Amino acid sequence: MASGANANMNAVRETMDVLLEISRLLNTGLDMESLSICVRLCEQGINPEALSLVIKELRKASDSLKASDNSTN
Amino acid sequence: MAASLDQKSPNVLLQSLCCRITGKSEAEVAHQFQYAVRVIGSNYAPTIERDEFLVSEKIKKEMVKQRREADAALFSELHRKLQTQGVLKHRWSVLYLLLSLCEDPRKPSPRLGSYGALFAQALPRDAHSTPFYCTRPQSLALSYGDRGPPSGATVVAGPPGGLSSTMGTSGISSLGMYTLNGPSPTPQSLLAGQPPAAGGPALGSRLAWALPVGSSPACALAPPSLRPPLGPVALNRSIRPRRDGDPNAEVTEGALVRDILYVFQGIDGKYIKMNLPDNCYKMDAKVVLCKSLRDTGSRLAELGWLHNKVRKYTDARSLDRAFGLVGQSFCASLHQELKEYYRLLSVLHSQLQVEEDQGVNLTVESSLTLKRLLVWTYDPKVRLKTLAALVDFCQGRKGGELASAVHAYGKTGDPQMRALVQHILSLVSHPILNFLYRWIYDGELEDTYHEFFVASDPNVKTDRLWHDKYSLRKSMIPSFITMDQAHKVLLIGKSINFLHQVCHDRTPPGKITPASKSADTPNDAAELLWDLEGAFQGKIDAAYFDTSKYLLDVLNRDYLLLDHLQAMRRYLLLGQGDFIRHLMDLLKPELARPATTLYQHNLTGILETAVRATNAQYDNAEILKRLDVRLLEVSPGSTGWDVFSLDYHVDGPIATVFTRECMGRYLRAFNFLWRAKRMEYTLTDIWKGQMCNAKLLKTMPELSGVLHQCHILASEMVHFIHQMQYYITFEVLECSWDELWNKVQQAQDLDHIITAHEVFLDTIISRCLLDSNSRSLLNQLRAIFNQIIEFQSAQDSLYRSALEELRLRLQYDEQRKQREAQGEWGVTAEQEMEEANRVREFQDTIPKMRSQLHILTHYYQGIVQQFLVLLMTSPDQSLRFLSFRLDFNEHYRAREPRLRASLGTTRGRRS
Repeated sequence: MASGANANMNAVRETMDVLLEISRLLNTGLDMESLSICVRLCEQGINPEALSLVIKELRKASDSLKASDNSTN
Repeated sequence: MAASLDQKSPNVLLQSLCCRITGKSEAEVAHQFQYAVRVIGSNYAPTIERDEFLVSEKIKKEMVKQRREADAALFSELHRKLQTQGVLKHRWSVLYLLLSLCEDPRKPSPRLGSYGALFAQALPRDAHSTPFYCTRPQSLALSYGDRGPPSGATVVAGPPGGLSSTMGTSGISSLGMYTLNGPSPTPQSLLAGQPPAAGGPALGSRLAWALPVGSSPACALAPPSLRPPLGPVALNRSIRPRRDGDPNAEVTEGALVRDILYVFQGIDGKYIKMNLPDNCYKMDAKVVLCKSLRDTGSRLAELGWLHNKVRKYTDARSLDRAFGLVGQSFCASLHQELKEYYRLLSVLHSQLQVEEDQGVNLTVESSLTLKRLLVWTYDPKVRLKTLAALVDFCQGRKGGELASAVHAYGKTGDPQMRALVQHILSLVSHPILNFLYRWIYDGELEDTYHEFFVASDPNVKTDRLWHDKYSLRKSMIPSFITMDQAHKVLLIGKSINFLHQVCHDRTPPGKITPASKSADTPNDAAELLWDLEGAFQGKIDAAYFDTSKYLLDVLNRDYLLLDHLQAMRRYLLLGQGDFIRHLMDLLKPELARPATTLYQHNLTGILETAVRATNAQYDNAEILKRLDVRLLEVSPGSTGWDVFSLDYHVDGPIATVFTRECMGRYLRAFNFLWRAKRMEYTLTDIWKGQMCNAKLLKTMPELSGVLHQCHILASEMVHFIHQMQYYITFEVLECSWDELWNKVQQAQDLDHIITAHEVFLDTIISRCLLDSNSRSLLNQLRAIFNQIIEFQSAQDSLYRSALEELRLRLQYDEQRKQREAQGEWGVTAEQEMEEANRVREFQDTIPKMRSQLHILTHYYQGIVQQFLVLLMTSPDQSLRFLSFRLDFNEHYRAREPRLRASLGTTRGRRS
């Protein structure tokens, strides 16, 4: 049981490594944690198109916030 | 990890994602989180294939495009590894996400880059120059939203490093931009000048999210066009520097063009909206705009209205299965047209996009203006107008009716419109022509939705198949098919079905009609429609000719239709003289008895004897076995003559021609003819009696007066009956028969034969005075017949008593001679007295006979005169001619003043 869970953990880790590599290749700018969240969301059947949109918007928002912070400062 | 993966809800995950990306605490990202939930939750319809292979191919292509072939190979390696592990269920989903977040690290495309650079540069420099921008930093996001994900998002999306790299490269391109545009238009105003790209839900929510925290949620949720004029006004204000000196803060033409493009698709624009009460698109009255633009805009907006109309129809109908195949193909053709229209719109859109990306005023001569739109959309507008009119006209129609409606629209002088309608018509009529070919080549009716113009009644049994089972749906006959063609089509399929179901003929349809090519494409349908008079008519004619001919051949060859027809004439219409005469001879003793004592089996035996003894025996056994005796309903007091009737059994296919009604009419005709024949027969008997007895009774001079009277009356009757028989045989039966026979020989289909036969029977019935119009004539005729019967019995009794008297007298003479020979007195006084008394008694009865005959004669002549009067007034010419023949020497005319008058007038008219 424990070894099975271990093997499972290994498989998951390996998968995540592969995905991270692909992500790097594609230059998506996602770190490990964001990627794992995204993968989990995708696994739950979330529409990837919508998710990518959200991520882009979030980045944009954070940038603009930073920018406005800069400008006000 | 996997365990926790499943436990966390998407919301929690989303929130942590928000925190992670923005790098802020949960409380701070509440807004972003809400937005994220809304976007994810709004099911932002996937526009992609759920296919891992496709996605991976796309990724590879993208890498190749970026000239990173080595990375592409690496990716496929990684991808294979991923596939072998099988931890992930939605690999395509993850891959797709990564692809859409992908960014080219080396060469950002110039188009995207220019905007990003523009913005990135503008950010710090113009932030202070435009106060509006400072107060509402979110308007930045708003204008970004308009760009849509591909152009806008990529700029800021990358990680800080990526961003800096884009900034680095794009600074150059933005410089180029500046030199082109000149320094005066600030890039920001350029951006703001573009109106929001109208309203998908995602955009609405994006906008809402971009709004400041303080604004109310209702306001935030409202689509951009409904928001208070803050946006537009603010935009207008920001435009002002470019449209220098314009005091009215107008909407730019470009904005209007963008708006119009949405309206073209039936989506409300920012300035132009659907006005429900007026049912048209209207320019927002508040928008400040010069009149010509406003007018042009309104004119263009009509296109949107037309589009909506057509679209509404197809949307409503395409799911309605009961609408039928014709309706479906109509919808499909409308869809095709709409697709063309959408293609045009997408071209316009991309043109607009390119212009925006390159800066609006770059090349004035190629930019999109309302006037240009007006010209470019002229043709589509005409087409859409036609479609909308068509849709209006076809409302509530289906099947052939629909095709008729479309066809009616093809009758126009405008060649373009005609081509359009013809195209639609060819699609619409395709299912109908398919029905038609199935029907005329296979006899099968596959019309689930009752669209075809041939209807079938499943309740009708096979014996009435030809007459009742199939009918024409008049409303469903497409107007390009003439009534004549429709009838032929009906007949062809009916013949095939008749052959199969009634005649049990299993010849494959291909053998009947060699040209059974039924798998036609819409193109063939179109070709046929061009050439309705030629090829189509030819096809129908050929099928009609072959099928009908085959059917008639089968009926004649296997079912002896013509032979049966002749048998009807020979037996039921008394055409076979020797047989009828012999039958009557044999039947006479039987028929003289009361009707109640007759038995069918006796009569059947007599019938067979009659057949065997006459020429009828050489007839086809098939026909003879159908011949039978039938006794009509017996009424009290009727004799065998009244109830006897010949019968002819018909069944199977020939019963279609000889229907029950037909047989009923044959029986009525037979009864009439049989009665007339009997009169002839009776009069022959009377004449025979007169001839035989005339010599015998010469010895009784006291009888000569009575006998003379008898002879006169008898010859009067003989003349009458001869003329009647002549009339019936030659004017009625033979003429009609000849007509029928000619028609049957020339008949092309079974219907022709049936019609000819019906006409034949109708003629016979009416000419034989059996129809309701000549009831009074028939009654007179019956009375005449009755008088003949009565005369026969009177004459019989006369002859009987006369012959009895003659016998007694001869016996008396004989006895006297015998006694004289024996040498005695011939008669005693007593005997002489007795003889004288008897003779006197007999002579006393003579005046009685005379007066009886006198009454008979008088009565008979009265009836004949009546009959003649009726004949004279009859509308039928042949009956009037009959009256001339009956009264050829004006014997009756001299006695009947009415007759004189009418005869005079008709003769006067004739001369």
